[in-house]
Amino acid sequence: MGNRFIVIIICLVPLGLDARPISYSGGSTLMVLTDNMKDSVYYHYSPSYKYSIGIENINDKVFDNNYSYARFTYLLDRKNTEYSQRNLYFQSGISLKGLNNHFYGIHGDWETRRWFSGFGVKQVINKIKNYKEQYYQLGIAPYLGDYGDFHTWIMIKTKQNSLDNKWSTYPVLKFFKGNVLLEFGYNTDTEWDAHLMYRF
Amino acid sequence: MNRTFILLIMFTSFSWANNADDEMHLSHEGHLHEEMVDGEKLEVDPERFDRFVENLKNMQVAVVNVHGIVCDFCAQGIQRTFEKDINVKKIDVDLRNGKVLVAYAREENINFDDIKQKILINGQNAVGMKIIIL
Repeated sequence: MGNRFIVIIICLVPLGLDARPISYSGGSTLMVLTDNMKDSVYYHYSPSYKYSIGIENINDKVFDNNYSYARFTYLLDRKNTEYSQRNLYFQSGISLKGLNNHFYGIHGDWETRRWFSGFGVKQVINKIKNYKEQYYQLGIAPYLGDYGDFHTWIMIKTKQNSLDNKWSTYPVLKFFKGNVLLEFGYNTDTEWDAHLMYRF
Repeated sequence: MNRTFILLIMFTSFSWANNADDEMHLSHEGHLHEEMVDGEKLEVDPERFDRFVENLKNMQVAVVNVHGIVCDFCAQGIQRTFEKDINVKKIDVDLRNGKVLVAYAREENINFDDIKQKILINGQNAVGMKIIIL
């Protein structure tokens, strides 16, 4: 029961496998994430490249619970160079069922066309138990495609939460072409994760 | 020897500076050279550029040097923004070299500040521009 409780709590927060949390100005993004514990559908719209607003619906497969977050993401800092981009975001979400269920945190990344690194830290407030979650991720593109090509990323991700204090590390594969991004991650605790993103 | 000859031709044919209003005329018999004599790199993929201008006549191409284009999503945003501009005849993003190619009618007055703004609203930075008369 204890482990299941912990896993369920973890699943209250989407993994956010480093898809860009803000689109270009006027862009919309639809994200679908599923694993053995939950299904998540997240839509966000970016009036500006500096922030996005959205709604996320989460279906908890274990307790058959369904709830939604109203989400807001703000670009705190961006550094563009000739071959790289670095970002720092503030992320937040408030449950539509009540203000005492919400989360906030920061997410950062630095990437070139070859390398990717990212991290995220979140504080989750809810009626059951508050906790903190963090992750770090590194990736490399095995080849460099041109605009419009099929892109592939090989990544490794490690994450931890304050509920069980265990680090979980696992590989992530990301495929990307046109408006569609698809990610797969696997570890022995959460088994398969799949994340589909469509930008329009 | 050939390199010296090419460099001399480049030196006499083109002038490259950070001035946004710089213009140069391009002979389509050859490709864009990759580096100017002063060391300034143009870095436009010659094949890509030739494909881009293949059916363009009486036009001018703004080659915009952009910082922060690291993925297709960046490129898509830029492309869509420029496609909304009725004065833009054609647009291409060279992800590999961080360049945006924008074709305008020959008589169009290309405004670098407007281009910088279009790039900026997508979260990237335009840092230089070269205008090539076709």
